[in-house]
Amino acid sequence: MSAYIIRRLLSVIPITIGVLLITFFLFRVIGGNPAYRIAGKNATPERIAQISKERGYDKPYFLNLQNFPREVFDAQFPRLLSSLVRFDFGISASTKQPVSRMLREGFLPSLCLTVPLFVIDLVLAVALALLAAYYRDTWIDRCLVVLSVLGMSISSLVYIMVAQYWLASEWRLFPVWGFEGPQYLVLPVLIGVVAGVGGSVRFYRTIMLDEMYQEYVRTARAKGLGGRTILFRHVLRNALIPIMTNVIVAIPFLYTGSLLLENFFGIPGLGRMTVIAVFNGDEEVLFATTFIGAILFVLANLATDIAYTWADPRIRLR
Amino acid sequence: MNLRFASAASLLAAFLWLAGVASAESILHGVGGDFKGFDPVDSGDVESADQISRVYEGLVEYHYLDRPYHVIPRLAAALPEIAPDGLTYTFRIRRGVRFPDDPCFPGGKGRELTAQDFVDSFQRVLDPRLQSQGDWIFVNHVRGAKAWVEHLNQNPSATTNAPVFDGFIATDRYTLEIRLAQPYPQLLWVLTMPYAFVVPREAVEYYGKDFRNHPVGTGPYRLVKWRRNYRIEFERNPFFSGQTYPTSGEAGDREAGLLADAGRPLPLLDRIIEYDIREFYTTWQMFLGGQLFSSGVNKDYFEKVITPELGLTPALTARGIQLIKAPSLSTYYIGFNMLDPVVGQSTDPAVNDRHRKLRQAFAAAIDVKKYCEVLTNNRNTPANSLLPPGVAGYTDAPYPYAFNRERAKQLLAEAGYPAGKDAKGNPLRLTMIMPGAGSTDARQAADFYVEQLRAIGVELEVQQLTFAEYLRRQHEGETQTFFAGWVIDYPDAQNFLQLFYGPNKCPGVNSSNYQNPEFDRLYEKIVSMNDSPERTAIYEQMVQLVIADTPWALMTYPLGYGLFQPWFKNYKHHAFPYANWKYYNVSPH
Repeated sequence: MSAYIIRRLLSVIPITIGVLLITFFLFRVIGGNPAYRIAGKNATPERIAQISKERGYDKPYFLNLQNFPREVFDAQFPRLLSSLVRFDFGISASTKQPVSRMLREGFLPSLCLTVPLFVIDLVLAVALALLAAYYRDTWIDRCLVVLSVLGMSISSLVYIMVAQYWLASEWRLFPVWGFEGPQYLVLPVLIGVVAGVGGSVRFYRTIMLDEMYQEYVRTARAKGLGGRTILFRHVLRNALIPIMTNVIVAIPFLYTGSLLLENFFGIPGLGRMTVIAVFNGDEEVLFATTFIGAILFVLANLATDIAYTWADPRIRLR
Repeated sequence: MNLRFASAASLLAAFLWLAGVASAESILHGVGGDFKGFDPVDSGDVESADQISRVYEGLVEYHYLDRPYHVIPRLAAALPEIAPDGLTYTFRIRRGVRFPDDPCFPGGKGRELTAQDFVDSFQRVLDPRLQSQGDWIFVNHVRGAKAWVEHLNQNPSATTNAPVFDGFIATDRYTLEIRLAQPYPQLLWVLTMPYAFVVPREAVEYYGKDFRNHPVGTGPYRLVKWRRNYRIEFERNPFFSGQTYPTSGEAGDREAGLLADAGRPLPLLDRIIEYDIREFYTTWQMFLGGQLFSSGVNKDYFEKVITPELGLTPALTARGIQLIKAPSLSTYYIGFNMLDPVVGQSTDPAVNDRHRKLRQAFAAAIDVKKYCEVLTNNRNTPANSLLPPGVAGYTDAPYPYAFNRERAKQLLAEAGYPAGKDAKGNPLRLTMIMPGAGSTDARQAADFYVEQLRAIGVELEVQQLTFAEYLRRQHEGETQTFFAGWVIDYPDAQNFLQLFYGPNKCPGVNSSNYQNPEFDRLYEKIVSMNDSPERTAIYEQMVQLVIADTPWALMTYPLGYGLFQPWFKNYKHHAFPYANWKYYNVSPH
């Protein structure tokens, strides 16, 4: 297993480089030299050259072949990688603040939104999926399936706009916007759950039903176990692997926050920060969030694999 | 820095910016955006300028109510004495103005403002190591500034305050001299800009790189709490004094209730709390809920808010909401690169004439009125001059190349492209760049221009670029035509006319690379002239010269629409709203 973990940990390197390469290409190569934007329209060529030199924008993009081989990596992308690996995320061009400080400030608000949303969504979805599976082919099951499909077919934007208008603005049940206390999180969490639970219920229901037709369930029934005991003691345990996959892979996204909900409800988290950075072409922020997101994603996948061995002793990691 | 295209959009947004009031009458909520912290050297964007001007202030400022715009002393005791040759401005600094208490000062006790503080602050704007976008306000005008900047460029480790040049001198504790290389009648205008606001040297040194997060100013408010991307809170600066609400304004101000607070000590509000709301839908819900004092009118909401007669809908009128429409002093245009072999100027008079007719045909081909109606809900009006209305030198003479498709076709034929084909029968293809890659508004505008040019037989390719790439292409002169806008920095046509001065060609502000010796001669004459009927006449003459040569196809003047709650008081549109928060008030509600 150690060899497997080391191998998977090493895979962080090409995956992160690949993701960063795409981001770098989109924002730096296509987007143009940021020195022009930073210096502003009135800038002199000397000022642009000064900023380019300071930030390394005057270097070749990928390899410095002019100074081959001694300084071949003295180029923009290798320099970016080198900074990120040292967790030196630089200074945001839009806010002039250290990006590491911005990440620190945005981390907790994102978790305040995403953790309750994630937990409620998971518990509710598994519970409803078990209910649907237990009452499969009855009106309860059909209602749950129809509601789930309906729920997942409606765009999150519609939920946000309707809820903000009716629940917050007209009926004043919730604050429209803000991050002043737990009551400000109720509506965005509620919207997040309603928008997301449908898809999760359908996914988990399928898993439960798949398990319920397994031989061990037939055996349990033959042994005279009751439906509920089979469902909770056996089916749920065996359905844990796909549930776990779904759960652990989602964990990195708790960190990155919810782009839409944070933006509409004014939660100063990383999702909102990323949206703003995209609009402003704030490369430093985007490279940092991409870098951290890629690493977390790979680590979450590794954690999933390790968790498999815990959930199912038959699984061996090689 | 000049608030040009990038800032044009955000300046409009600033007018559309939002705020609101909580239960207590003097607590105000508002909405901002990204800004670069509280360092006046970084006040080039509208949002930064707005935030900075709550905390810091300068020698002079605009009168809030009077029009035409003029400056009044603020931290100066009076307007400066100007030497007969126009090369020395002497300011007496107001006595008794104090920086607030702050740990940066010995014992944490603030101290009195002195003339030396201005010397230090102005030198920071010029310091190339700080990369201020505002160095243009001094660098070519103040005596010795260029050499001093060059000295710092070559000796980056030199201390900022090294006595290398004497352009800014504190002759005594309360007297500041600004010595110029040549007359600079615009000096008082640029001194109103946040770049020229005064900061204490102690704070710069004490906070170092974090100075931008710790404002220590003499302004009407002080920062209480700031959570980036979310909320910022200011309270009345207890050390602010010496200013009252104006007792006079222009005709109609009294009737509009704008003098109800005349003579009251400023600022009128105790507290400003501003939220950073980026979604217009959220903003609109909060405005309707009475939580925000103001809202803009988003394009998508326009028809719900504004009637076809461009008034407020009855439902909003019944709620007492006030609609204020105000033009920003800016002009949008399509520029031609005059060095381009197809559309540019030529030393051959016959070729030059044909190319000029091609540019004129381009201008006449675009139905700007339709553009305003269809794409902007008439939130823009067709431009008829380089200068926007309200700036000396503007005349209401009709634009000679306003939309006229038949005339455009005729001019195109005279340019050597009958029906859009050259002598060999090849179609005329032109390229235009514009910023706003990925923006729906930019794409719609691009489609519109393509269709308008196609109607006279010209194939126009529009490239939507990121702002950085757009600036690079303009800077390097890699354009044929380009969509752009210019927001005036101060109410003097010189600020617009510099865009056509030959020596300012790329990478300077003359992005069209326009060359006209007669224009240059007149420009060199007016740059040192004070405001006078003679100067205005020359401005008009220069405008006509440019319009005839058509380095720009004139497009629009933007018109801002702002909505205000009935309880919000003292709002008067100001084209240079650097120091206006202290005048705002709310009535009990």
